[in-house]
Amino acid sequence: MLLAGLLASVEHGLNRVLRLDSTALPRLRPLDGKVIAIDCRQPALQLFILPSDDGLMLAAHWANEADCTLRAPASSLMRLALSQDKSAVLHSPQVELEGDSAVLLDLVAVLQDLELDWEYEVSRWLGPIATQLLSGHLRSRASWTRQGLAALNQNLSEYLAEEARTLVGQREAEARFSELDTLKVDIERLEARIERLARSLDTSDNA
Amino acid sequence: MNDQRKGDHAEPTTHFGYQNVPESQKAEKVAEVFHSVAAKYDLMNDVLSGGMHRLWKRFTIELSGVRSGNRVLDIAGGTGDLAAKFSQLVGPTGQVVLADINESMLKVGRDRLLDRGVAGNIEFVQADAEKLPFPDNHFDCVTIAFGLRNVTHKEDAIRSMLRVLKPGGRLLVLEFSKPTNTFMSKVYDAYSFAFMPLAGKLITNDSESYRYLAESIRMHPDQETLKAMMVEAGFDRVTYHNMTSGIVALHRGIKP
Repeated sequence: MLLAGLLASVEHGLNRVLRLDSTALPRLRPLDGKVIAIDCRQPALQLFILPSDDGLMLAAHWANEADCTLRAPASSLMRLALSQDKSAVLHSPQVELEGDSAVLLDLVAVLQDLELDWEYEVSRWLGPIATQLLSGHLRSRASWTRQGLAALNQNLSEYLAEEARTLVGQREAEARFSELDTLKVDIERLEARIERLARSLDTSDNA
Repeated sequence: MNDQRKGDHAEPTTHFGYQNVPESQKAEKVAEVFHSVAAKYDLMNDVLSGGMHRLWKRFTIELSGVRSGNRVLDIAGGTGDLAAKFSQLVGPTGQVVLADINESMLKVGRDRLLDRGVAGNIEFVQADAEKLPFPDNHFDCVTIAFGLRNVTHKEDAIRSMLRVLKPGGRLLVLEFSKPTNTFMSKVYDAYSFAFMPLAGKLITNDSESYRYLAESIRMHPDQETLKAMMVEAGFDRVTYHNMTSGIVALHRGIKP
């Protein structure tokens, strides 16, 4: 019952999120009636997902056979949930797919393309003017934070490489690596030449 | 199984809560209870079960195995919680019949589902579970949630459900049952006979209907007895799942 309660809450939250993207639910309609089983190996846990144009239904048990079964350890499932490139996770060796994989890939595509209109949801609670003010403020804060982090990153790398000389600068490192590569190729060439000379000496001794 | 047939001349009696009433009066008395509570049925379910009835019904749906194109009968469907979900699962090619003997409950259920946009593949039928007005071998799944204990002749109702199911079809009976834990049983008794009638009085101004609810639960067959009744009626692979320490049990049987 505990798991059922947890799944009911997750399902409710997930469907609220899906409703924030006006295209998500219509895109789920073709998957209506399909059953996707998620079989987590470590820890052992099974979950069934039933998409429909009302959203996703999550179930801990399902009496019928699933159209598609995804078997993977929890770490891969977590990566699948969080990763931007979900298709890459699905093609990793730890992940096993059985049945009609198109069903799962279609669901993954819908989740991957989600563009959440959070401002609409907030405007329902705060009204259009307050939402506009709030979103403008949040956007400028986000932009300031992004710029600040980029500047910090650049200044820190310059300080460590140029002033403190704790780290080697990128261009300096690239020049050294290039020299090392040249040296490596020269050594290989020399080695080949010595080997060829040794072989020719052996041939003349035998003659 | 809880019917008491007396001598040749006296009318057989059956339980109505803790009272014994003539069989012909039980349906009428049960109808009175549900006419009284229909308007606030959902609210009372949430208050009395602390929202747990949603999880019990959720588990019923998970075990139903209903899929696109299926025909489903939800007996004693009340305000249509299960029927709404089944309507979504069977899709436009399937069919859901919400049946209830009580006109008030059926009306509340129909209005509620239509208001939520559940329509097209759902029908509403006023029907007695003992004499289901459907052809033989017609449904893929039959459910009865919190309804069987109000039926006068439970064996007849189970046989009727078997008749309308297709071979391989599933019957799911979700009903209050006997707690498996002694401590839980005592807490549950105190809750049922003290809190439930009080909540009924405060919310629907009707404590008697909720006293009947508590009494009818005690008079309902326990898990093993109901399982035996289903087996005797002809169901195969009958199993049950206790939920919330056996306060509620979900019985499932397959028509051979």
